[in-house]
Amino acid sequence: MSTETVVLKGHIVDSLLLAKVLDVVVDAGVAYELSDVQIGRTNLDVSQAVISLEGEQAQLDRLIDELQVHGVNRVSAGTSTLVASDQDGVLPAGFYSTTNLATDVLVDGQWLAVENPEMDCAIVIADGRARTAPMHQVRAGDQIVVGSGGVRVQAPAKQGGPTAFEFMSSEVSSEKPKALIVREVADRMRAAHERGGRVLAVCGPAVVHTGGAPDVARLVEAGWIDVLFAGNGFATHDIESNVLGTSLGVSVAEGTSTEGGHANHLRVINEVRRHGSIAAAVEAGYVTGGVMATCVRKSVPFVLGGSIRDDGPLPDVHTDTAAAADAMRALIPGVTVALMLASTLHSIAVGNCLPAGVETFCVDINQAVVTKLADRGSHQALGIVTDVGPFLGHLADALCGGR
Amino acid sequence: MAELAWGRRYLMCPPHHFGVLYEINPWMHEAVAVEHDAASLQWQDLVAALRLAGAEVVTIDPHPNVPDLVFTANAGIVNGNQFVPSHFRHPERQAETEIDAAWFADHGFQVDRLPAELDHEGAGDALPFTPENGQTVLVSGYSFRSDAAAIAALGDLVGCPIKAVQLIDPRLYHVDLTFCPLDERRAICAPMGWDSYGRKVIEALVPEPLWLEDHEALAFCANSVVVGTTIVMPSTPPRVGRQLEAWGFTVVESRVDEFLKAGGGCRCLTLALDVTLSPTPARQ
Repeated sequence: MSTETVVLKGHIVDSLLLAKVLDVVVDAGVAYELSDVQIGRTNLDVSQAVISLEGEQAQLDRLIDELQVHGVNRVSAGTSTLVASDQDGVLPAGFYSTTNLATDVLVDGQWLAVENPEMDCAIVIADGRARTAPMHQVRAGDQIVVGSGGVRVQAPAKQGGPTAFEFMSSEVSSEKPKALIVREVADRMRAAHERGGRVLAVCGPAVVHTGGAPDVARLVEAGWIDVLFAGNGFATHDIESNVLGTSLGVSVAEGTSTEGGHANHLRVINEVRRHGSIAAAVEAGYVTGGVMATCVRKSVPFVLGGSIRDDGPLPDVHTDTAAAADAMRALIPGVTVALMLASTLHSIAVGNCLPAGVETFCVDINQAVVTKLADRGSHQALGIVTDVGPFLGHLADALCGGR
Repeated sequence: MAELAWGRRYLMCPPHHFGVLYEINPWMHEAVAVEHDAASLQWQDLVAALRLAGAEVVTIDPHPNVPDLVFTANAGIVNGNQFVPSHFRHPERQAETEIDAAWFADHGFQVDRLPAELDHEGAGDALPFTPENGQTVLVSGYSFRSDAAAIAALGDLVGCPIKAVQLIDPRLYHVDLTFCPLDERRAICAPMGWDSYGRKVIEALVPEPLWLEDHEALAFCANSVVVGTTIVMPSTPPRVGRQLEAWGFTVVESRVDEFLKAGGGCRCLTLALDVTLSPTPARQ
């Protein structure tokens, strides 16, 4: 979907021009919004209407050609202004701050699609291509888009139509039939793979606590998950539960606390650190199962992002958060479906890096997480309010066959 | 009946170089020869009719290679001492603009220009109507020759409200083939030339329109010149003549058949020089 802004000026009210133009827009099946209307106060004053049109680009182009007959003109997008960055990691003042929506910039008379759309970045123009860049990646001399002239943002496609996720299009709800939702998520993952897209899973520690880790491992094993993002906690609990049978000292099978279990996760981290990496620990036979081991064996790339409260951390954890975000960015191209599994902060962090076009399913027992994700700009996230453990069991059954 | 406040002083161009040398409207056919002597006589008859009705006629020198210069209605918009020269859509007529602009500049008019990229064909596509106790408005046609966007720009220049009417019949390609103001209540109107919105606009503006039948419109009845209570028409269907006379007008038929070959009638051959649209032009 694209939006175009057009303007109509003159004695447009008593000439019925505005009415006519809006009729033409409606007849073309294009959605419009009157973003600004100034009606002349006397019959001498001219009136002006600024109209936002939303539709497929080809449809809009046809419509605007038709509307130009009635004196309607595109509000000139202008051409983009480029300013060279004069310092590493610092953008020129007035830089254009991106959204996560598909964006085009007009450079030298040509619209360039901005690669890897991501919110809160700058747009760098180099070699006739446009890409997003987070502030810290910018180098002195990079050509940065300044101001909003010559920048065109495509409105998010409205969920709808036969393949879309209509039944969840509204908002978060705990009242929706879970079996149906699981089937739909499975269908979306299948569809993504059929189209050559990749599926990203973002896992919080609760995946392990609720007994969902073996199901994530099944999904990784069967090739349904192509990229995994998590933190120190998830990986540690996953390894702990496989090596010692506990998650944070609590038996995953029995649900009972174990003697001295409160230190179990530290001991596991310590041993993995001794091996130098999770992959080395898996190769040495220290870790034999679970999500992380399956990722290593199936060569599914993962990024573990660190935080201040991490124990250890595991040797694979990126303790430099900017480096962690860059590592995630490197794996995001090609991702078309993201599963945010019982992870609040990590989901928001990943959501910030994802283009708006990625179908994002946020599974959490806490409705607030989904709301929060959307509030931070990831409007494409569809919330599934449920216990992640059983959800993953059903999802793995739907995709990998029953146990 | 209050007579029109304008229409007693006209600019015309002798038809020495008139001919159908190209085809830019459905009436023009290069194969149809213009009888030059007949054209000249018809033009002189029109001048005589206008003078007899009490109008003054001044002329602009004809130029070779611009045969349609004879249709002075398309020279531009006159507003008191201000002149806004036309921007012609067809390249065949674009050379007329500077000839007209030079004449008006030489005769003491202030020449204000429309933005270069917008087309507007002058009084051919814009005629004033002043309702009783009301503000003068220009009724301006668009689509075949003038841009709707030019109408807004023109309003800025002349400081007068403009009602834009979309023309939909290519045979009635200028608004002066569809609309002829008679006084503060009446006008000759050819609704076949307008879209449904345009019809509503005119219905709201003109209390007593004389609606032309299609065949009357295509006989160029609306392309008439009003001098006080005299209406000089290229043709007068009986029904139209009776109605106009019932309203107290004197109808004079002035045949201009040679000019109809180029799609122009009496009004097209004249440009009223005594039009005031607003006391002071708005923006210059």
